[in-house]
Amino acid sequence: MVTIITSRHAIIQWLEDRVPLRSVVDYLSKKKVPRHKHSFWYYFGGLTLFFFIVQIITGILLSFYYKPSPSHAYESVQMIVNEVPHGWFIRSIHSWSANFMVGSLFIHMFSVFLMKAYRKPRELMWISGVLLMFLVLAFGFTGYLLPWDTMAYFATVIGTEVPKTLPIIGDWGVSLLKGSDEVGSETLTRMYSIHIIILPLSALVIMSFHLLLNQLLGSSIPRGTIEGGPPIRFFPNFMYRDLIAWTIGLISLLAIAIMLPWGLSDKADPLASAPLGIKPEWYFLPLYQTLRMAPATVFTLNGELIVNVVVGIVATFWFAIPFIDRKANRGQKSTAFTLLGIVLILYLATTILLAYTT
Amino acid sequence: MNRKSPTRRDFLGKLLGAWSLLAAVPVGSMILQYLAPLKSKETLKESLRVAAVGDIEAGTAKIVRFNKEPVIVVHTGTGQFKAFSARCTHLGCIVKYDTDGGWPHLHCNCHGSEFDMNGKNVAGPAPKPLAPLKVSVQESSIIVSRV
Repeated sequence: MVTIITSRHAIIQWLEDRVPLRSVVDYLSKKKVPRHKHSFWYYFGGLTLFFFIVQIITGILLSFYYKPSPSHAYESVQMIVNEVPHGWFIRSIHSWSANFMVGSLFIHMFSVFLMKAYRKPRELMWISGVLLMFLVLAFGFTGYLLPWDTMAYFATVIGTEVPKTLPIIGDWGVSLLKGSDEVGSETLTRMYSIHIIILPLSALVIMSFHLLLNQLLGSSIPRGTIEGGPPIRFFPNFMYRDLIAWTIGLISLLAIAIMLPWGLSDKADPLASAPLGIKPEWYFLPLYQTLRMAPATVFTLNGELIVNVVVGIVATFWFAIPFIDRKANRGQKSTAFTLLGIVLILYLATTILLAYTT
Repeated sequence: MNRKSPTRRDFLGKLLGAWSLLAAVPVGSMILQYLAPLKSKETLKESLRVAAVGDIEAGTAKIVRFNKEPVIVVHTGTGQFKAFSARCTHLGCIVKYDTDGGWPHLHCNCHGSEFDMNGKNVAGPAPKPLAPLKVSVQESSIIVSRV
């Protein structure tokens, strides 16, 4: 027994001499996480990371069987679902986890926004977070086509047409994305490549930067909030709490993946009419509904172009929030931005509801 | 004025920076050219035989591919044949022939655009009419040709 313990210590010491991780652990255990009435919202950032890890693992597993070509994609997904042991479960987890990830990311982002955690010195954390949000939406868009079923096909036809009205870069950007005049085999391989290589690599780089800043700058305390006790140590105390949140996330994910296995509609037929009731995933419904409500022309201008320009302005504004909200930077109350956040949440919720009910 | 003369290291640093910028242009251009869609080698056809007259019943439609584009050929209730690009001018979904509401029209399920039997956009967000094609009946065959 003594020999085993001694040799275990010797191995740990050998590793420590070559990979000096103790200093990292020391740093993390000295780092403190504040405690107050809004601390609950801190867990959604970690939860988003957790669902991202699930996506990576299940995505790798799916890639062993998936074949990215119009003549094989649908059949390979059918095979995963019907023949591969636990294939339906892995695919269901992957699809549901994508939705959970977007959901927890939105909760995280709006909680950061409403707590004004983007204020100095966390501007770059906000910008990298917004970048990650766009990457996650791109993950959703590129992954949606891969099963090559009817819903996926027409959602991609629409999605790739949306930026076409933009002057100069519109047509060029769309043809670069599609790789052809229409959504076909070139589009599928491009989406696959973007989905499994370009986006994960970009997300890992930006996420590392985002997490590094989180470690260096710590968690923000909302203005005027009274701390509800002494701050807790990040390692191991906060990490244990994070793990509890991850466990709840995992149980919910597994439950829904089993109870509502992710479906597959008919194989895509590029010559069939779009099916009735076609809708994109819920997180694209605000854009879908806005495009649906927009008139064909407004003072001779294309309605779709106007929607594109407005979305572009809102996205730029969203990135630049920490530099626009000067009151928050000075530590003052900025009611206008709180109202703006609430209006935006209400707009997103209303358009999603309208898209489902009309 | 006390201006420090650049060292060899400064010079080499600036040279490396300038070279990297210059190298990025051809590399970026090469990648963009590589990613640009290939030009189709398919020659455009003047016309296409869609079906035999009896194959498309009155009040129904058929969608075919003509010069890489989906085309909808409708046998109207009045015995006429009409053909249009089947791609909705809004966001490119394939339209369908519909008589709901008591009038024959082309309907897009994606965002609800509607086109009358002349291809004109009459409802929904579609900004332009559907492009028409010529239809003729030759020896009991329906032929679609470019306008």
